[in-house]
Amino acid sequence: MSFLQVEGVGMRFGGLQALDNVTFDVEKGAVLGLIGPNGSGKTTMMNVISGVYKPSAGRVRFADKTIADVPTHNVCKLGIARTFQIVKPFASLTVRENVAVGAMYGREGGKRSTKGSFERSQELLEIVGLARVGDKAASDLTIPDRKRLEVAKALALDPDVLLLDEVMAGLNATEVDEAIDLIRTVNGRGVTLIIVEHLMKAIMSVCTSVVVLAEGRKIAEGLPHVVVQSPEVIKAYLGSRFAERQAQLEEIKREADLARQVEPGAHA
Amino acid sequence: MDLFFQILVNGILAGGIFAVVALGFSLVWGIMNIINLAHGSFLMLGAYVAYALFANYHVDPFLSIPVAFIVMFVFGYLVQKYIINFVVRAPILTTFLLTFGLSLLLINAALLVFHGDIKGIATSYSGANFSLGAVVVPWVKLWTLVAALVITALMQLFLTGTKTGRAIRATSMDIGAAQLSGVRVAHLYAIVFGLGSGLAGAAGVLVSLSYSLQPSMGEPFLIKAFVVCVLGGLGSVQGALVGGVLYGILEAFGSQYIGTGLQDAVALVVLLIVLIVRPTGIMGKATA
Amino acid sequence: MASTSTVKVLQKVGMGGITGNRYAIYVSCAVLAVLLVVPSLHNGYIENLMRGVLMFATLSLGWNLIGGYTGYVSFGNVVFFGVGATTSAVLWQHFQQQNILLAIVVAAFVAALMALVLGFPILRLKGHYFGIATLGIALATQEIIANIDWLGGGSVTSIRQVDFFSSYYYAMWAICALSLGATWFIARSKFGYALVAIRENEEAAAILGVDATKYKVFAWMISAMMAAAAGAVFAGANGSIDSPTAFAVDNNVFPIVMAILGGVGTVAGPLVGAFVLTAINETLWSRFPEIHTLFFGAVIVIVVLFLPRGILWLFAVRGGFRGFVNSLKAYRV
Repeated sequence: MSFLQVEGVGMRFGGLQALDNVTFDVEKGAVLGLIGPNGSGKTTMMNVISGVYKPSAGRVRFADKTIADVPTHNVCKLGIARTFQIVKPFASLTVRENVAVGAMYGREGGKRSTKGSFERSQELLEIVGLARVGDKAASDLTIPDRKRLEVAKALALDPDVLLLDEVMAGLNATEVDEAIDLIRTVNGRGVTLIIVEHLMKAIMSVCTSVVVLAEGRKIAEGLPHVVVQSPEVIKAYLGSRFAERQAQLEEIKREADLARQVEPGAHA
Repeated sequence: MDLFFQILVNGILAGGIFAVVALGFSLVWGIMNIINLAHGSFLMLGAYVAYALFANYHVDPFLSIPVAFIVMFVFGYLVQKYIINFVVRAPILTTFLLTFGLSLLLINAALLVFHGDIKGIATSYSGANFSLGAVVVPWVKLWTLVAALVITALMQLFLTGTKTGRAIRATSMDIGAAQLSGVRVAHLYAIVFGLGSGLAGAAGVLVSLSYSLQPSMGEPFLIKAFVVCVLGGLGSVQGALVGGVLYGILEAFGSQYIGTGLQDAVALVVLLIVLIVRPTGIMGKATA
Repeated sequence: MASTSTVKVLQKVGMGGITGNRYAIYVSCAVLAVLLVVPSLHNGYIENLMRGVLMFATLSLGWNLIGGYTGYVSFGNVVFFGVGATTSAVLWQHFQQQNILLAIVVAAFVAALMALVLGFPILRLKGHYFGIATLGIALATQEIIANIDWLGGGSVTSIRQVDFFSSYYYAMWAICALSLGATWFIARSKFGYALVAIRENEEAAAILGVDATKYKVFAWMISAMMAAAAGAVFAGANGSIDSPTAFAVDNNVFPIVMAILGGVGTVAGPLVGAFVLTAINETLWSRFPEIHTLFFGAVIVIVVLFLPRGILWLFAVRGGFRGFVNSLKAYRV
C-alpha cells in the first residue's frame, strides 16, 4: 500500500485531453520530480492531486481517501498542501498574518488559538527565511520572498505531502541554491514532496525519483539520472532528430570503447 | 387569446427602450467594471433636452435623438475624464458610491432648474394607433421600437467596424495588453462612458414620448437596466436587445396577471433565479 | 531565538492586526460612554439625533462585517432593517406585544433565518452579482411586504410605544455597543482572519482550509441580526412604520457611505463615519434646507474622490501628505 497513489488519472477540458491515463505511486519521504515539456499536463496533475480539479477519469488515493471526494477546504486536513505557480498571497495582510491563516485552519488548526497560530507562523517564517519581513504587507514582497511566503503558508498546514509548483521560476542562481536547501530541510522534517520544475539542476540534485509527462501521458518514471538519458524523454523535450543524434552518439561511443579494448598494445 | 397577443406586443414595444437603456449601462459596466448609478439621471437629462427643444423650438422629439445623444456624450466624456477616472481602478464599491453621489447631484440640480412639476411632450401623433387584427399598436410606440433598433444597430456597427470600437473591445479584454499596444486608456474610458451616457440620453428622448417628465423619472429605468444586463449578459449589443425585449415581455405579463404593484417583485425574482442558475446571463459572455 | 521572537509576536497580536487603528477604537468607546449621558439632557432634538447616529452606526457595522471584512458588498442589507421594523409592527398589531427586548430578539431571529436561507445560493455569486442580487432581494421583499396585509400591506402601521423614559434610546445604544463589541471580538479572532482571507483571495483561503461558504453565511447572518435589531427599535421609537420608510434608500446607502468614510474593514470605521456623516448632513439640512441633498451629493463625490479608503486611512498611511497623495494614484488611470 503506497503512500500516495495516482491511478489512471485522466483530465479532459472540452476537446482537450490534458491528462491521459497517468499512473504512478509516491513513496513516503520521497522527493518526486514531475517534469515534462510545456503543456504536458504537469500543473493539471498538481491540481488533480491537490483537489482543485476533479479528474474526468481515474482517481488519486491518499490516507485511505479518494481526494476528489473531499471538498477543497478539507484537502489540507488530509495532509496535502500546495503552492501555486502564480502566487496567491492575501495582499493586504502582513506576511506573518498570511502564514497564520494557514496555521489557524490547517490540519492542526482546530487545536490552536489565535495567539498560538501567530507563534507557529513566526516559527515557520524563520524556517523559510522571512522573519525579517514578517510585518510587511504581502503585496510589498520581492518575487523570491513571495515564493517563500507560498511555501511558508503551505507548511503552516502541517502537511504530510507538499506540492511545489515551479517554485524556482524567476529565481537567480543563488536563490535557486537557497530554494534547494529549503526543500532539503523540509524533506528532512518528514514531509514528502512532489515538485514541478523546469530547472534540471534542481531536479537532479534534490529528487529521489522522477516522473516524466508528455502531452498528458506518462512516458518515463524512475531515478533522475537514468530517466533523463532515456531516448523517449529526450525525444519529448528536444524532438526526434535530436534523439536520433543522441542515439548515434551513444552508438559511436560504445564502438570506440569496444575498439579500445580489442586493439593490441592499447593503454589499459 | 387576443389579450395574450396584445400584451405580447406591448411587451415587445416597451422592450426597445429597455434595450437602449440597458445597452449604455452594460457597456460601461462590462468594459470598465463601473456600475453607473447616475445612468438614470443621464436618461432624465436627455429627456429634458428633448423637452426643451420641443417646447421652445417645436422640434419633433425623434429629431432630438441625435442632439440628445451628442449632448449627453460630451457630458459623459467630461465626467469620466475629469471625475471618475480618478478612482476607476478602485474597488467597484468606490465608483458605485461616486456615481450615486453624482446622481444625487444631477437629480437635485434638475429639481432646482426645472422644479418638480410634471411635464410632458404631446405631439400631433401622440394618441394615434393602428390595428393588427385585434391588437392595437400605438404609432409612437412602434416608431420608438424602430428607433431603438436603429440605435442598437448603429452601436454594433461602431463597435465592430471602427478602429475606436475595436480598441474598446480590446481594452475590455485586457487593459494591460491594450495599453502596451498604444491605446490611451484614459481617453478610451471617457469615450466609452460618453457612449453610455449618450445612449442613456437617447433612451431618455424615447421615454419622453410615452411617459411624463420629472427629475426622478430615470430611476425606475436604472433597476430595469440591471435586470436586463443580467438577463442578457454584459457588454454585448445582442444581449441588451434580447434581454430588453425579454424583460419588456416579462413585465407586461407580470403587470397583467400579478398586478402592477408586484411587477417589480416578479422581475426581481426572475433576476435572482437567473443569477443563481446562470450568472453570466442568458446570452452573456464570460464575466467582466 | 524562539523566545524573543515569540514575545514580539505577542506584542503584535491583540491590537492592530485587522481591527484597524487602535486609537480610533479607544476614542469610539469613550464616545459611546459619553452618549449614555444624552437622555439626561432632556433635549428631544439631540436625543433623536444621537439615536439616529447609533442606529446608522449599527447598520454600518453590520454592513462592514459582510461588505468590508468579507468583501461581499451588499447593496441590499436594508432588507434586514425593514424586516426588523416590520416584525416590531407585527408583534404589536397581531400579538399586542410592545416589549422592546422581545421585538429585538424576534426580529434578529427572523433576519438571521432569512440570511441563512438566502445566503447559501446568493453568496455563491461573485463580486457585483452578489450586490445586485441583494438589491433585488431588498426591492422584492419591500414589494412583497407592501402587498401582504397581515404584514402591514404597505400602509402605516402604528406601534404603541413603551412609556419608559428614553428606553428606545438606551435600547439603540445597547445594540450599537453590542455590535461594536462583536465586530472587535470577531476582528481579533480566527473567524475574523478567515473573513479577510476570503476577501483577499477566496480560492487561496479554501486551499488553506477555510470553509468559505460556512463563514460567509455566518457573517451575513450576524450582519442581518444587527440591522434587524436596529430596525425593530427604530420602528418602536418612531411609533409607526410603513414600507417606504422601513426600506428607504437612505437606510441602504448611508451605512455604506459611512463605512467607507470612516474606514472599510476596520472596527471603528463605521462609528466614525456615522458621526461625521450625520454631522455633515445635519449641518447641510439646517443651513441649506432646499438644496441640502444637492450638497450631500457633492459631499459624497468629494469624499469618494479624496478619501476612497476612509478617514482612518489618513492615519494609517505612511509618508505624510506626499505618501497619502501617492496612495491615491493607485486608483487612477
